[in-house]
Amino acid sequence: MSRSLAVDVAFVLFAGGAVVAAWLVFRTDSMVRAAYWLLASFLGVGAVMVLLHARFLGLVLVLMMAGEMTIMAVFMVMFMMNPAGLNPMTMVHQHGSAKVAGLVSFAGLALVGIVAEFPDRPRTSDADPTAELGVELLGDSMLIFETAGVTLLATMIGSIAVASKRGRFGDAEEGSGPPPLEPTARPAPEPEPAMEDHDHEGMHHG
Amino acid sequence: MGVIRRLATRAEAPVFPVVGAGGRLRASELALLPGIRLVGTPRAASVLLIIGDLTPALVRPALTVHDQLPSPRATVWWPVGADRGLLQAWPGLVTVEAGDAEGLRRIFAGLVEGRRASDPPLLLDIEPARWRGEGPYGQGGTGMTGGVPFGRPLPGRAPDPDGLELDQLPLHIGPLFPPFPPGLVLDVALQGDVVRQASVGENPFRSWPGGPDPGPLDTGAFVEALTTPTGVAELELSRARHHLRWLADALRVHGLSALATRVARLAATLAPTDGPEVEALVRRLRRSRSLASATAGVGAVDRPAADLPAGPVARAAGAGDDARTDDPAYRALGFEPVVHHGGDARARMHQRLGEAVQSLELAGRAGEAVRAPGPALEGPRGPLRRGRPTPSSALVALVPTALAGSEWGDAITTVVSFDLDMEEAALSEVAGVHS
Amino acid sequence: MNPVAAVGVVGGVLGAGAYALAVLDGAAARGVAGMPRRWADVVVEPARDAALLALTRRSTTERPDAQAWALAPGLLAAMAGAAVASVPLAEGFAVADVADGIVLFGAAMAVVMVGVYLHGWSANSPFPLVGGYRFIALALSYEMPLALVLIAAALPAESLSVGAIVASQAGSWNVVRQPLGLPLYLVAGMGLAFWGPLDGADGADLAGGTAAEVSGPARLAWELARRFVLVAVALMGAAVFLGGWHGPVLPGAVWMALKTLALLALTVAIGHRVARVRLERFVVVAWAVLIPLALVDVFVSGALAL
Repeated sequence: MSRSLAVDVAFVLFAGGAVVAAWLVFRTDSMVRAAYWLLASFLGVGAVMVLLHARFLGLVLVLMMAGEMTIMAVFMVMFMMNPAGLNPMTMVHQHGSAKVAGLVSFAGLALVGIVAEFPDRPRTSDADPTAELGVELLGDSMLIFETAGVTLLATMIGSIAVASKRGRFGDAEEGSGPPPLEPTARPAPEPEPAMEDHDHEGMHHG
Repeated sequence: MGVIRRLATRAEAPVFPVVGAGGRLRASELALLPGIRLVGTPRAASVLLIIGDLTPALVRPALTVHDQLPSPRATVWWPVGADRGLLQAWPGLVTVEAGDAEGLRRIFAGLVEGRRASDPPLLLDIEPARWRGEGPYGQGGTGMTGGVPFGRPLPGRAPDPDGLELDQLPLHIGPLFPPFPPGLVLDVALQGDVVRQASVGENPFRSWPGGPDPGPLDTGAFVEALTTPTGVAELELSRARHHLRWLADALRVHGLSALATRVARLAATLAPTDGPEVEALVRRLRRSRSLASATAGVGAVDRPAADLPAGPVARAAGAGDDARTDDPAYRALGFEPVVHHGGDARARMHQRLGEAVQSLELAGRAGEAVRAPGPALEGPRGPLRRGRPTPSSALVALVPTALAGSEWGDAITTVVSFDLDMEEAALSEVAGVHS
Repeated sequence: MNPVAAVGVVGGVLGAGAYALAVLDGAAARGVAGMPRRWADVVVEPARDAALLALTRRSTTERPDAQAWALAPGLLAAMAGAAVASVPLAEGFAVADVADGIVLFGAAMAVVMVGVYLHGWSANSPFPLVGGYRFIALALSYEMPLALVLIAAALPAESLSVGAIVASQAGSWNVVRQPLGLPLYLVAGMGLAFWGPLDGADGADLAGGTAAEVSGPARLAWELARRFVLVAVALMGAAVFLGGWHGPVLPGAVWMALKTLALLALTVAIGHRVARVRLERFVVVAWAVLIPLALVDVFVSGALAL
């Protein structure tokens, strides 16, 4: 088998696999599986990028997505009423609006694909895309990327500071009652936690 | 016989121990036996080894564990002490003299070579709750996560230490969970791996209709010394051995199983002349930064040391009570109790290490000194007084509060640091030991 | 390289490394425990254990996620293989000298995290599940230092290729030039293979953690897979920090083997000497100490490289 044919076959396999895996995200019945089908889809996309000589981008996509899908799975499990994500649950809901959104985005992307004029500048394979990417990131587009990067970092630090138990407004447990009606009054006292009594009962069991 | 089978026959036999009444001392020597390897989960074992007698409440857990062993599997019984006959009905059970590693290996080899049939399952393999089959995925209800999945209700939610409302998973752990002392049953509510609430379940060693019927306790020598004159050297050697056996268990839980085997060997063969070796070991463990950080601040008991049940746990929190202080035989030797401060798992480890060194030193210079029978004697877990509760029963009561809010690994460290013995805890009072 | 030969080389390196690791571990355990044994026995022991596991039946749990359960060890082994392929085993000989070898390694180790989590999650049993979630908490904390020290090692070479990084160490090895690199890398690497003090995912306090429910061939596959990961970590460490094939007298491939074995022996020794770390404390240390140290490593290496 010639090299270019092997590349073509691999391309079709990975691209097709990515689409099938993306479809399976919605067919599965578990949050963890859904997250990892999405990861499988990204792995396919990453492999396609590697085949297109964007090795660095493809590998970084895999590197980031493996971590991100895991975090996504953990967060979904944490927020859903489904202990440890072990119970089966459906991954599709709001069918009507989902159909509309899906059709609209497909039509939009298809329109772009048909109408847009893609650049057609064949590259020699000895060009180093990683170096070019570095020059691009830290050359002409540096201002854009650095602004975006620093903004995102500041957002992350800020959200941690706000969400943290020991935030800049003191202990999160304190003063988190409903806001007062008069601007100068102190916040209403926090309601007693309902678990208190139950907790004590449990302690004395042993 | 193929190459693979021939190789497998000579492998160390992976053994999962079930420690019944009277089996604790034997179990502590398992790791020393050649050709046997202790495993932490029944799924990795080929031989289920029952040591001592099963009480009624231990039968069902033992059967469950038995069926978790992958085939080919065999069940071996090492009888110790009393035999009340519950094990006679166990199908396919092979009785081997307690401590006989060779006998166990012969059964293992027969199993691997195919000369011996694998044990059949002893329980029905059915789902504990019926699958109700409702909802789009049969999850038992309608809506995205509604209903009663797998026929089991969803767990409740409770606030976690970070102020979130999280699922709380009720679990029943024990009595055969390897890191726990044999027989300890904990009902815990887990949030992730944080213990929200814990309570100690029914003690399986109390399940005989006529009251507990203990086999030989691991502190038996001390109980005997309440009524018979005993050499101080002998008592103190037993104490040092006891603390080293505890240390081996603790090290195994902290992931240092090879070192644990070395300590277990030392405990089994300890003589007063081993002082330098024990001191070197103690120095090394005291210097270990990793052990210190694994135990410091873990399992601290938040009550004044004076309110703690007397014994090493209280002495590790600063209370200096030791029944040996008032004992004439010990006073003659100039005995001063070892005391540590902190009251956490680290202090308890240092306390027992210190007491082991001290006991060995006392044993070395006690000579022929004999302790006359008296009403109270300091056992390795606490004072033994006739007619008073056993030390373990008082220590078990500390477990629920000490575990609440701790991460699972810390919870295990805490449980181990109390040095419980559920068989001793099953006895309502010390006098009962001598029946 | 011929694909069949490539698979053969990668498999051979992983297999030989895993066996050597098992022998080293067995010997160290005997030594620490003070149970003298004939060398012949120590050398054959891993084969015997593997044979026993191969003859033991697989067990199952109530409604496991069977596909994910079977996939997990394969995922670990495949990622270890991908990492090994990018490492030059001798001067000018790598199975696949990828120009972004360091990034490939990082990506492979990120997917290892997925594999371990799936192994714990799919068993549908509490202790494996806790082990899986524990691994996420740990792995997220050391992915960062791992990536940073590898980037620092790539700076003097001005290339992401492992071959170029080794070539750049002709004068002095990275372990000397970047003293922070190797220790941080080893901590992260041991964590990724949940080895020694960082074995929280499969710890004794969870009755075996993610592996608590596997038996027979499935257990053999899992034990092999985690050793493959550790071997890949040691091989990459030998190349990136210990100068790879550089060394006097002996041929380059022998130096690579010796350095990899030395790193494996070091991890085995740490495993028998250091107690299991507390999850909570380690995560704090990882974020508050290891990541800043790794950043210092990057900044200093970058300044020196300029």
